[in-house]
Order: sequence, then structure tokens, then C-alpha cells
Amino acid sequence: MNKTKIKDEHLEILWKMKEESKDSIDDLKKSTGKEYDIDIVEQLSKEGLAEYNEKDKKIKLTEKGEDLARILIRAHRIAERMLHDVIGGDFETGACEFEHTVTPELIDGICTLLGHPKKCPHGLPIPRGECCKLSKRTAESSVVSLTDLKVGQSARVAYVTTKDDQQLHKIDGLHIRPGAVVKLHQVYPAYVIECEGINIALDGEVASNINVWKDINHALHKDNISKGSSCRDIENKKKKFFGSFFCKRRY
Amino acid sequence: MKAVNNPLKRIAIIGLPNTGKSQVFNNLTKKYTVVANFPFTTVEMKSGTFNIYNQPYEIIDTPGIHCLYIHSEEELFVRDMLVFKQPDIIIQCIDANRLKQSLTLTFDLLELGIPMVISLNAIDETTKKGILIDSDAVSKFLGVPVIESIAINDIGTKELKDTLEVARKGTIPVQYGEIIEEGILAIEKLLPNSISFKRKLSLLFLQEDPFLMDSIRSISETDNSAKIKEKTEELRSHFRGSISLLINQKKNAWIENICSKTIKKQKITLKSFPEFFARISRHPVYGIPVLLGFIFLMFYSVVNFANVIAAWMHDTLWFPIENQITHVFPSGFWNEFLIGDYGFLTFGISNAILTVLPILSVFFLLFNTIEDMGYIPNLSVLLKRISEKIGLSGSAIMPITLGFGCKTMATLTTKSLRSKKERYIAIYLIAFALPCAPQMALNMSILGRLGARAFIIAFAFLVFVEIVAGLFLNKILKNDNSNDFIQALPDIRMPSPKAVIKKTYYKLLWFLKEAIPIFVYSALFLFIIDKIGLLGGIKNILKPLIIGFLGFPIEMVDVLILCMARHEAASGMIIKLIQVGKLNYIQCIVAVTITTMFVPCVANIMAMIKELKLKSALIMVFVINASAFILAGILNRILILTIK
Repeated sequence: MNKTKIKDEHLEILWKMKEESKDSIDDLKKSTGKEYDIDIVEQLSKEGLAEYNEKDKKIKLTEKGEDLARILIRAHRIAERMLHDVIGGDFETGACEFEHTVTPELIDGICTLLGHPKKCPHGLPIPRGECCKLSKRTAESSVVSLTDLKVGQSARVAYVTTKDDQQLHKIDGLHIRPGAVVKLHQVYPAYVIECEGINIALDGEVASNINVWKDINHALHKDNISKGSSCRDIENKKKKFFGSFFCKRRY
Repeated sequence: MKAVNNPLKRIAIIGLPNTGKSQVFNNLTKKYTVVANFPFTTVEMKSGTFNIYNQPYEIIDTPGIHCLYIHSEEELFVRDMLVFKQPDIIIQCIDANRLKQSLTLTFDLLELGIPMVISLNAIDETTKKGILIDSDAVSKFLGVPVIESIAINDIGTKELKDTLEVARKGTIPVQYGEIIEEGILAIEKLLPNSISFKRKLSLLFLQEDPFLMDSIRSISETDNSAKIKEKTEELRSHFRGSISLLINQKKNAWIENICSKTIKKQKITLKSFPEFFARISRHPVYGIPVLLGFIFLMFYSVVNFANVIAAWMHDTLWFPIENQITHVFPSGFWNEFLIGDYGFLTFGISNAILTVLPILSVFFLLFNTIEDMGYIPNLSVLLKRISEKIGLSGSAIMPITLGFGCKTMATLTTKSLRSKKERYIAIYLIAFALPCAPQMALNMSILGRLGARAFIIAFAFLVFVEIVAGLFLNKILKNDNSNDFIQALPDIRMPSPKAVIKKTYYKLLWFLKEAIPIFVYSALFLFIIDKIGLLGGIKNILKPLIIGFLGFPIEMVDVLILCMARHEAASGMIIKLIQVGKLNYIQCIVAVTITTMFVPCVANIMAMIKELKLKSALIMVFVINASAFILAGILNRILILTIK
């Protein structure tokens, strides 16, 4: 890995640490693992991207550093979102390299195409870009919120964002989960959907967190693609997919 | 024959909400606990015993849970019971309509490794929907017996009993891959020796279960919590992606696999009437006439059947007795003691059995039918419209809706609310102007004597004060994180007449058992304080309030005293006052509203104390009573000004 990339990785991890309100150099070491490089840390602080206090072993991004990290994180998470929504599966492998090669304009374009998603597939927030602020909706997104469906319409769940784990478990317990087909029966006074043969009433906030493919055959496309490729490809894909969960770092 | 003393075996009935756990409990023990077609019918654990082939069993009925990762306090009780007081056998109740949803829980239970039997309930309904479940294949996948049953009709009970002997541990569903498995082993070592199910508990730690640490701390002396926390954090940071996500993915793949191989669905679904009815009943426009239709039906039946039956019973059964007594004791102490104003027979017996009982019988028959249909959860969707405006975001709706059945039970179900503010508002609104089923029955009976307009005025007023109270509490209480409304709606089903009659019978029986002594004692109490002159004294003091402010005749003091003992007794007294012509139109309406709002019944107060602690509960009761008086006084003024 070249120096620029390692620098980018450090910036991204510092952003993650900010999200988790951590600021010690040990946390940085733990998260970067083998890639940890004291030279890079010093370089960051020289360039005015991070404030490093050797005495209390604290490190945090400066405003300038944050601006740079925001762009990287945004690119990474948008990429994950795109790969997940469009392909419906392996979003990890592609996203890792992505943020080092794209321009912010391209990211804004993809962001608009996806309907300005708020969260990555892991549920972490995607920093807002210029396009989100202007709230352009140029192309109709293939993934919409459940609240955008019409009564009587069916859709396939793409992903669910929740405010906490408990809510996720509750929704998951009712089998409202990626891949499930839901049918919207009613929107007022509460949303009523049918999912896996039972009717469920939800309030607007929960419903807006459920994101669906309007085309219920969406995830089926994926199966068709798989069928076209050889068994070995699929095996390899699976290995890669599960393998990716065991990477040392996560974003 | 040799008597064999086998050791007692403990069975826990576990399952999702509304999957027939209580019905299975009733079928096995031949006891009766209330069952209904809505979630949260069982709020506390109940236990009973029975014998099969000389083997004694203790069986525990539990509130519903979704999985062993816990969302609320009452679910926590169930998990703690399972994990720390390990039962010998689990019966998991599964509603065949929701097999897929239930398998999430099955997965967790299999991981515990307790011998298990599955009761696959409501199998008739899935067949009607064109869904066929191969229960033998399900059993093979899970490694535990699966018994098809229709619990409401007691079908499948014998098979279930026979299977208990061969209940066995199922097949552990999945392995999680190296990192997680190693993590499980590492956490297992940190757990106290005394506890079982270390594997499952370690997994729950990895999923960041919010309650588990406290539960373990409460039963064990060694406190390894810091180490466990450190270890789980270390594992989580070694992981790309989320551990919970991976565990859930494994779980889902397992469930999908079973469902795809055991469930067959016919492609064409028939439009069924129950489904149509469910949609209408929660529709924002059509739902209102449906609700009003049910209320009208109940009102009409109470007025035209119950009141008529009560009057007939009074004439044919009571008059001869009264005449006979008057004949023997024309006047004096015995006359007054037996059939006087506070007579033991008039008040205690005739009031309970001849006035209140027929009204409750008719009302409960209808109410239980509606309840067993599964209408009430659908009503909660409609009520959301109002509740949103008074600061109740969602999950508080179900407990409040249940308050129309029994306020005590409704108060206990507020346990499931995580927001303190919503919990407080819900408990208040349940205790305040919401009529519970018996109160509703008697209100209908009283107001029905005056015509439908009186009923509409009184109920419009009650709805109004309830909304104002909600708005007010919403304003003054501090906001906290609100709950989400996620509510599975049960299918509307044709209620079984046998089940409805049985439930009505038990409710009436409980009423008689509980209420008759209270009716009798309160009659004696009033008789005594009247004789020693205390009642007269109280009446003198309260005169300005009762006559001046509320516009009542002074006899209403008796009603309010009775209200503290039992609301039905107070209503019975109001009916009596109407019969002797002491209450006019306006006074009747005000009397009904004040008795509905005044002092919640003793059981409800106990439930409030349990949920809110003594001090807050007592403050709430005081505030409710004070506002009951003030509001009734205001209503009296308004009615005097508007109604001639």
C-alpha cells in the first residue's frame, strides 16, 4: 500500500473514532493494527490535519482534517450503499478500494442516483454531501422508503435502518428483513403491512426506516446472475463474502 | 397397584404473543385462565399441576416473547425463569400462521438444549388459507416432536400429553465459524460456574444484550462483568461487520431452509371475509362506523335484553320475597336490616344477582365474542389517530385499548413501555375516564333507561376529558425517548361459541365470588354507620359539595362510598335511585360520569402501585379523584344551561 492510501486510512479511522467519541492514540493503534505508522501520524499533525498531543496520548482531527476525512468516509459508505442496493450482496470487497479513486462530484452523482441514502449497510451515518443539501432527486431511485409506496403495492425489503438494536430485533423478529416481500395495506392512522402472511401495524417513523425495492423481483435478478456463473465462481464469491467479515478493520 | 412417586417435572410453555399458550395451559390442567385473541393476555406467570400416567407435572404459563434477546421487562422475567430456574421440558406454542416468525424463538430455545415439544397450533386456519405444513418434516429438522393441534377446540391435547414423555433436546442449529466460536469459549470461562447455558449466554453477550449482565450479577457472587465486557469489545473490534448481523444471517438462513422445505402454499389466495373485515375495521373512515356499530349493538342488547331480563327477575323473583318479609316483619330492626335502604338482602344479594348479573351476562357474551374475533388489536390502529395527538407515540396504544376490557390487566401491560413518560400517561389514562367492560355494561344499562342521547352525552364527555388529560400530561411531563409502534395484528377469526360461553361463565363466576361478599359487607357497613348516625354526619358535611356543586340528591353520598368498594355496587345503587325517581335526566348523566372517573377499583390501584411505586400511585389516585369531582361539577353546570 502506498503512503497516500495509508494516510487516507488513518484519516478514516480518526473519523470513526470521532463517531465513537474516542480520542486516544491507543485506540488508533488498535484500529489500524499492522498499518499503524507513527510517521504518518506526525505527517498528519505537520500538515495541520490532526492535533496530536504526545503528553496525554490524545489525537483528534482538526477542522481541515475532518473535511478531508468526511469526503473519504462519504465515498466509502456511498460505495457500500450502492453495491448493496444494486447488487444486493457483496458490498465489502469493492468498497475498500473505492474511496481512493473517485472524485466528490462522482460520489454526489451516485448519491443522487441512490436517493441520498442516510446510512451505509452497517447502519453508520453517511456524511451529507452538497447534493443532499440541494436535495436533488434527478433519477428515480430503485430503493425507496416504505412510506413512498402506494396502498396495495408490493415490494421487496432492501434494508432496514433502525435507531437502536432493540428496534432492529423487534422488526427482525417479525421477519421484516432484507429479501422479504411486503405489501402495503394502509397508511393512516398507522401503516399496516403484510409480511410473511401476517399483518403488522407500524408508525410512520418505523415505516420510513424500512427501505424497499419497488421491483419485487429485484433480489431474484441476483439469483439469475449466480446461475449463469460457474459453481466455482459462486464458491469463491461466498468465501470472499464471509471472508470479508473477518477483516481486521471495519468502517 | 403400587403407587409410584415420580419426582415432579417442571414444564414451561413458551411462545410468541398470541399463540395459544394459555389455551394449551387450560387444556392440559383443565383449569381456566383467561384466553383471548390478542397479544398480552397473560401478563404474569401462572402455574398449575397435573398428572399423566403417575407422573406429576408442574406447568408454567408465561407471557409471550419473541426471542431470547430481550426487548422489555416482562420478556426478561421469562428469560430469567428459563435460564436460571431451568425447567425440565419446554412446550413451544407456535401459531401455524406464523411458523416462520416463531422459528426465530425455536432457534434460540434449541440452543439452550432443554428437552422440548412443539405444539403447532391453529393448523385448521393455515389449511383454509391454502398453506400446508409438513409437520413431520419440521420435526425432523428440529429434532424435537411437533404436534399439530387446534387448541381452542381442545384438539391435539392428548397427543401433546403423550409426547411429553419423549420430549428431547433438539439439534443444535448452527456453528458460527472460528472467531465467534472461540469468542464463545473465552466468555464461557468468565461466567460463574453455577449457571447453565453458558454457550447461549455468551452468544447473547456478543450480541450486546442490554439486560443480561444485571441478571447474572443478581444471582452470582463473583463479578466478572468488567472482564466480560472487555472480552466482548475485543471480539467485536476484531470483526469486520457486525456480530449480531452475522448471527442473524445464520439464523435466517436456517429458518429459510426449513420453511422452504416444509411449507407449501397454493398460488391462488382466496379473498376471505375475515381478511376483508379486518381491513374495514382499521380503515380510517370505514373503521369508525364499525366501531360505532359494535357500541350500538352492545348498547341495544343491554337496554333491550339485559334491562328487560333484570326487570323481569326483579318482579318475579324478588317481589315475592320482599312481600313475604314485609309480611313477617312489617317494620322495625329486622325489616330494615333485611330489606331497608341498606338492607342485607336488598343491597347485598338482590342488587348483585338480580340487577348487576344479568347486565354483565349479556354484555360479556357480546364483548367476549368481539374480543375472541381479534377485533381489539385492529382497533388499536384506529386509536392511534387520537393517541398521537396526546403524546403517545405507539406502543402505549395497546395497553390503553386493553383497558376497555380490564383496567387492572391493562395497567400491568404498561410494563412493556420503555418510555417513562408514556408509561405514566398510559397508566393515568387507563385509571381515569376509561370505562372497563363491567363499568361500560352498567353505564349502558343506566343511560339506556334515559335514551340514546344521554349515552352519547356522557360518553362524549368522557372521551373529551380523557383527551384533555392526555394533552395536559403531555405538556407537563418531561420528554424522553418515545416508543415505536410495531404491532402484529392477529387474524380475525370466527369465535367459537363454546369458548365464548366458557369465558363468559368464568368471568361471571369470578364476579360473583369476588363481588358478593363486597356487596354484602358494604351493605352492612352502610347499615351500621347509618344506625350510629355517622352517615348522617358525613352527609351533612358533604351537603354543599353534593347538592350545591354537583347538583345531586344527598343519597348520592351512598353511591360514592360504594364506589370505593366496588364500582358495580355503586352502579347498582344508581339504578335503584332511578327506580325510586330520585335522579333526573341531568343527575343521571353526571352520576355515570363521576362513577366512571372516581377512584379506580382496588385491584387497579394495587396494579398502579406495582408499576409506579406507592407514592406516585397515591398521588395519581388523589389527582384523579379531585378532577373527577371538579369535572362532574362543571358538566352539571353545562347540562343545566344547555338542556331544558
